[in-house]
Amino acid sequence: MNQNRRRPNNVIEVNFLARWLVLVLMIGLGGLFFVYLKNQQHSIGDQTRGVEAMLREVESLNAALDAKITGLTSRGALQRRLDDGYLKLEGIRDTAIARITPAQPAESDGVLRTALHDPDSRFDPEASPRTINR
Amino acid sequence: MNRVGGRIGSVCGFLVIVFTLFAWRLIYLQVSQHDYFSEIAAEKHLIRVPIPARRGRILDRNGEELAVSIPVKTIYADGTHIQNPGEVATVAAPFLEVPVSELTKKLTTQRPYVVIRKGVSEDKAQELIRAMDSHKLHGLYLQEESKRSYPNGEMLCHVLGYVDHSGHGTDGIEKMFDHELTGKDGFRRIEHDRKGREILVYRGQEELPENGSDIRLTIDMGLQAIVEKEVDATYKKLHPVAASAILADPVTGEILAMASRPNYDPNHYSEAKTENLRNRAISDMYEPGSTFKIVVTSAAFNEGIVNQDTRIFCENGRFSFCGKTIKDHHGSGDLTVPEILMKSSNIGAAKIALRMSDEKYYDYVRKFGFGVKTGLPLPGEISGLVNPPNRWDKLTKSRMAFGQSVSVTPIQMVMAMSTIANGGNLMKPKIVLNKGEGDMVDAPVVLRSVLSPKTSAFISQALVSVLSNQGTAALARVDGFTAAGKTGTAQKISPHGGYLENHYIVSFAGYLPADKPKLMGLVIVDDAPLSESMNYGGSVAGPVFSQIAGQAARHLDLKPENDNPMLQSENSGAKSASLR
Repeated sequence: MNQNRRRPNNVIEVNFLARWLVLVLMIGLGGLFFVYLKNQQHSIGDQTRGVEAMLREVESLNAALDAKITGLTSRGALQRRLDDGYLKLEGIRDTAIARITPAQPAESDGVLRTALHDPDSRFDPEASPRTINR
Repeated sequence: MNRVGGRIGSVCGFLVIVFTLFAWRLIYLQVSQHDYFSEIAAEKHLIRVPIPARRGRILDRNGEELAVSIPVKTIYADGTHIQNPGEVATVAAPFLEVPVSELTKKLTTQRPYVVIRKGVSEDKAQELIRAMDSHKLHGLYLQEESKRSYPNGEMLCHVLGYVDHSGHGTDGIEKMFDHELTGKDGFRRIEHDRKGREILVYRGQEELPENGSDIRLTIDMGLQAIVEKEVDATYKKLHPVAASAILADPVTGEILAMASRPNYDPNHYSEAKTENLRNRAISDMYEPGSTFKIVVTSAAFNEGIVNQDTRIFCENGRFSFCGKTIKDHHGSGDLTVPEILMKSSNIGAAKIALRMSDEKYYDYVRKFGFGVKTGLPLPGEISGLVNPPNRWDKLTKSRMAFGQSVSVTPIQMVMAMSTIANGGNLMKPKIVLNKGEGDMVDAPVVLRSVLSPKTSAFISQALVSVLSNQGTAALARVDGFTAAGKTGTAQKISPHGGYLENHYIVSFAGYLPADKPKLMGLVIVDDAPLSESMNYGGSVAGPVFSQIAGQAARHLDLKPENDNPMLQSENSGAKSASLR
């Protein structure tokens, strides 16, 4: 009987339990957070990979289009179009040529030049904008 | 108790030994062999993915693109990922332009890398992948490649060259500057998952590629187009064996245009005949004929052997020398040195050569750059053939004076004529402006001073008279400009010795404006099937030079300096008499 009376009731050590509970909880949460971060990393990695692939694709398409433009505007291609009649060369009127180099009128020396240096066509920065031919 | 204690001791001892062995083995694997096993493990899931460098472009002097790389895809199959080859083939076949049955056969494999099609365009490859994704099919993948494209096709083909299937330059600039154009591939170490997809989190070491440098040529495509058009017209009209033309800046030695016929399209180089691949402007040697007279006359004048008043008796057109007869086309009596050049007298040139010592004459021939490669960075250049005096016979010197017994390349002739045009300096020809160094350009290289300015001015003036009505190249005149030049008409050498009857290589080398040259040009027409009376440098190559130089001067916006009304009328008179 005396032996039974030695421990009349079981003491629940709340502090001790709480300490372990908190520790386990924290470790669990830490683990879950780690897994969450890892998943996020992978998910962002997948997105990055996707964006990288998209960029590569755009770059490649851009380069392919650049090459296509170069091909279509090359001298050979333009010459073929000219020969086929799809393009036409039009002479530029003398008055439509503005030169930024000092102009020399043809009548001053009687020399025939590739483009007529007509005083009327001299480039005047104050005047309305014109196409500069050079 | 003792027996029990003994047994416990034995078991414990045994366990200690076993665990010691395990521990030792663990230390061996984890510590001693760490690197080795790490490498094996890494090989299983780490791969080194190459990042290809972009091949540099080839540009003309104004930045016009002459050779570019287009990204294309190689489509390959991983047989281990394909569950239903027939279904994959049905979806993919329309994009790959391959029959379904043939594709099914190719896809029925367990090999991880089977090339299905190379050179698929970017947009078509992307369409295929999207179609595969929409049908939830796997097993076809893309690999990045690039294809070299020459937007101008045949134009400038011999200079540009081409690249082979592995992407390495095989001819022309593509070959000579392959290292600079290629660049250096980069790489990235990645880990991949079970499906072969990269795990980005574990992306490892990365080295970015160094793209190839752009090569900027001295070629002006505006001038090249002019030259190509005229050479092409000549080739189609006269049907010669070959035709070549070169335009250069005589002051800097820069090559502005270079064209040869027959030619080829570098986009389809495998279809070209071998003879069409040859850049005849640097790899063909020919007997220059009368254009070579500039060497003997300028050498003799430079050495003081002849002067402006010297008169040479030209034997009225027939001169017997060492048992052989040298003939002139038109017989003449006494001629001055400029008149010898103007009338292209073989006898006059031979007699001038005979006044010089063998060594001195040979020395000048070599000083003009003949018999040695010019050093132009293009493959296949040859040095021509100039024999030293100890291998000459009694006739050699007199023959060399008018361009026989010597073989030169077109580029050598251009540089020799430039020597007279620029005041006496032999320039090193240049075809590359820079190799990706931005706007930096190497200074022109003077190889040596050959003639005094006085000599070059004297010979230059004589060469102007070659284009007068009394000269041999009236048809080479250029409206609005005083041009200078020399014709050449040489019989072709027979492979069996001697010369071929009625087979000629005709040429014209000239420059303009004569007093301050900006443009040097050479036109060579090899063996046009014309009658003997028509097949002359002045009547065949001269007009082509005139056409090229006239258009080139307008392209360069050279100021016409010809204010001499008499020469203007001479020009128009010559044009009306032109054969073209």
